[in-house]
Amino acid sequence: MRMLRSPLLVLLAGLAAACGSEDSERQAADTAAGPTRPLSVYAVNHPLAAMAERIGGADVEVTFPAPPGEDPAYWSPLPEAVVAYQGADLILLNGAGYAKWVAQSSLPASRLVDTGAGYADRLIPLEETVTHSHGPEGEHAHGGAAFTTWLDPTLALEQARAIAAAFERARPERAATFRERLTLLEEELLALDGRLDGVAEALGDAPLIFSHPVYQYLERRYGLNGRSVHWEPDEEPIGREWRKLERLLPEHAARWMIWESEPLTSVEARLEEMGIRSVVFDPCASVPPEGDFLTVMSRNVERFEAAGSPRDEGR
Amino acid sequence: MKDTLYLAWRYVAYHRVKSAILIASITLIVFLPVGLNVLVTQSAEQLTSRAEATPLLLGAKGSPLELALNSLYFDAELTARTTHAEATRIDDSGLARAIPLYVRFRARDLPIVGTTLDYFDFRGLRVAEGRQIAILGECVLGAQAAKLLGTGPGGNVVSSPESVFDLAGVYPLKMNVVGVLERSFSPDDRAVFVDLKTAWVIEGLGHGHQDLTQPQAAGAVLGREGNTIQANASLVQYNEITAENRDSFHFHGSLDDFPITAVMAVPHDQKSGVILLGRYQGDEERTQIVRPEVVIRELLDTVFTVQSFVVAGILLVSAATLATAVLVLLLSLRLRRREIETLVKIGGSRGRVAFLVLSEAVIVVVVGGALAAGLTLLTHRFGSAAIRALLLS
Repeated sequence: MRMLRSPLLVLLAGLAAACGSEDSERQAADTAAGPTRPLSVYAVNHPLAAMAERIGGADVEVTFPAPPGEDPAYWSPLPEAVVAYQGADLILLNGAGYAKWVAQSSLPASRLVDTGAGYADRLIPLEETVTHSHGPEGEHAHGGAAFTTWLDPTLALEQARAIAAAFERARPERAATFRERLTLLEEELLALDGRLDGVAEALGDAPLIFSHPVYQYLERRYGLNGRSVHWEPDEEPIGREWRKLERLLPEHAARWMIWESEPLTSVEARLEEMGIRSVVFDPCASVPPEGDFLTVMSRNVERFEAAGSPRDEGR
Repeated sequence: MKDTLYLAWRYVAYHRVKSAILIASITLIVFLPVGLNVLVTQSAEQLTSRAEATPLLLGAKGSPLELALNSLYFDAELTARTTHAEATRIDDSGLARAIPLYVRFRARDLPIVGTTLDYFDFRGLRVAEGRQIAILGECVLGAQAAKLLGTGPGGNVVSSPESVFDLAGVYPLKMNVVGVLERSFSPDDRAVFVDLKTAWVIEGLGHGHQDLTQPQAAGAVLGREGNTIQANASLVQYNEITAENRDSFHFHGSLDDFPITAVMAVPHDQKSGVILLGRYQGDEERTQIVRPEVVIRELLDTVFTVQSFVVAGILLVSAATLATAVLVLLLSLRLRRREIETLVKIGGSRGRVAFLVLSEAVIVVVVGGALAAGLTLLTHRFGSAAIRALLLS
């Protein structure tokens, strides 16, 4: 039956076929207009946007549309914002499942640049993964990997190289310029890595507490002895959280707590009473009030350097 | 001579019924084989144009024809499916751009085409009303699909269950229509386009449900053990993706393991295309790569063979009809014997009378031929559009 139907179906379908595609015309128009305008680049977080700006310079127009103060990892853009991403020449992704909205959106696969693809095998799995089961599918987990990858400057370096490579593919005639700018950025990232090495040396194996589980890559890169709690800088921790910290201290005698931003004064004071100093290390996922990713990282290092070492502090 | 032609014309005009029948016969005798040939040639051109515009198709091993029909015309059902890993493999090869297709589900009788935004760029499809799909659970409709479904931006389309008897199967997904495409006069006009991930949600590979760690879902928790929570059947799963529940939608397993029906591979250049073709020729390959143009041409060869039989049949019928028309003319001469004798008696030479009768026949043939030519021209100009409209209505 199918054999009998097929020729007829094809014949009829052929009558309905397109008279021609405008694709080639559009491509030709894009090619004609392309090199004369800056490359439109959208990023899913500020570090990527900052690195893209440094590498691309005036050859690119970088947009990171998440509202200031919003955590880009959990930002849920309106469809209009997704449509704006769709119009970009390149969309820079962080990898590691960063920015959950990406998995729930329609983005043009050919314009996506997964800057974390090169270190996919070095991602840190999340520990707090809830596994559940319902129906015949069996158990499955909603977990994933830690995603604040740029806190390890060597991984940020790989992201920068992926960005530069994508720019070169899109604008081959500007490849030499992109490489020059990449070299400068590499130098800055390596210098940052060196400074953080110095900080790590001063810290030694002194126990630290991270206010939020976002410092996994910093911890791994510099061998920090840290444990994470789940505290927000702008919120007073509830009693259960304080008790959890009190139970942790005997086995992990931390004298510093690392915060994403300045904690509430009351929280800082109570921690001081417990012999814990608050030190800010801003992951800088969203646009900072001033400067960019690298200047914020530099200030983070300065704060650590100024704080000395928890080993020097008595309890 | 002018007067003879005038007499012939008056004769034809006076016997209008007989003349009309003869002219219609002549018209059909000429038009049927020629017109059919024009239609088939046009169809073949249009058919191959869509196939030619699709450089390479990759799918699970099986019938190349079904793969081409499913991927180009969203028609034949493909039972053998490949995985998204094949699209990734093509992308990673650096030889071609991969556009995955998942053509399996339907909304009423219209195909739901799961793909990526690259498909729209590749086919040159533009949004006429509303906007492009942006998030999970949204769809854009082909121009004809919007008419048939009677909806547009702001409306909804519900996927049809694959089987009404599959009570434990996947719930239909209510999708939000966000745009209608410009008419393209192609099978795209009858399609409901969704993101590939939405197609997987329709299949049940991705779903959204209550957060089992939240108190609201306590009633659905069968048991907890460490970080493992087991839910019972009362767990509320969503059959519509909204701004409120969108974050709860997730996929189980690696997306690369998820099914697709085909990958449209668009090689970066001719050499890349040849290399890519070569990579899928091994016997151990579980996928096939085909050039739709070749597959469709093979099919057309079959169609043309059938066509030649049809044309031969029409020619035989035409010959018989022509013989009948000649017979009618000869018989009419016998009936007109007295009229012809009168013409001779009033001074008409035999040659002049013969010229008169011949002129009548020529007028019928010429008018019939002209009508056939006109119909052929009309077929050439509007034939395909008319059938296309008929198909898409």
